[in-house]
Amino acid sequence: MPQYMVVNYLPDNFDPSTVDEATVHAIDVLNEEMIAAGVRLLVGGLSPASSAKSLRAQPNGEVRITDGPFLEAKEHVGGFCILEAEDMDEALAWARKSAIACRVSGEVREIPYSSLPSGTAHPSRQHERKP
Amino acid sequence: MPQYLVAIHHPDNYDPSLEGEAMMRDIDVLNEEMGAAGARFFAGGLQPAARAKTLRAQPKAEVLITDGPYLEAKEHVGGFWILEAADLDEALAWGRKAVVACRAPVEVRQFLEMLG
Repeated sequence: MPQYMVVNYLPDNFDPSTVDEATVHAIDVLNEEMIAAGVRLLVGGLSPASSAKSLRAQPNGEVRITDGPFLEAKEHVGGFCILEAEDMDEALAWARKSAIACRVSGEVREIPYSSLPSGTAHPSRQHERKP
Repeated sequence: MPQYLVAIHHPDNYDPSLEGEAMMRDIDVLNEEMGAAGARFFAGGLQPAARAKTLRAQPKAEVLITDGPYLEAKEHVGGFWILEAADLDEALAWGRKAVVACRAPVEVRQFLEMLG
């Protein structure tokens, strides 16, 4: 079954202390629903984008490391869920519930290559799956 | 042990068919090394951002769904690892190797929480 990533975006000035009890409860209920449906493979919440480090290759072959997120934007990924779904429509149905529960905007992207047991190995790894 | 996101970024016109054998081998070697070190928790490659769907929460619990990625940018996450590392320096050392193997810029961020 295809795997999808449901991503939540947060504004860079997001204050976690403003998340009320009703939101926490709604997120909890959604996680329980995903687990009961057997679709949830992995969930993670990230530290603020301001704490990210960016790494860029330099012409001399060195890698330069700078503070802050790679993409210049006012919002960044706050967390994501990797789930299994029949198709994009089913993934979008979960993402819709996530957007409502978390009170944030989001994005769904398919993960064609995944190291999870039910996933398809990346082309660089496909020699592993040969008999 | 803390967990880190090591995300590679591709320009939106990225053509995966240009990934040569040497790059495949470098990525394979890096994955082997991460596996041998017990660091690799997840590795995944994403479909091009153009095929993403975006969801915006609207008033009254409505959700507007549109085609394309959420962030207006010329580059988007192309794939990522979730790695366990002793600290940020160790995660950055993996990130450095990812830049070289994938020929792509990388962002490293720590997870606050991870539910397996």
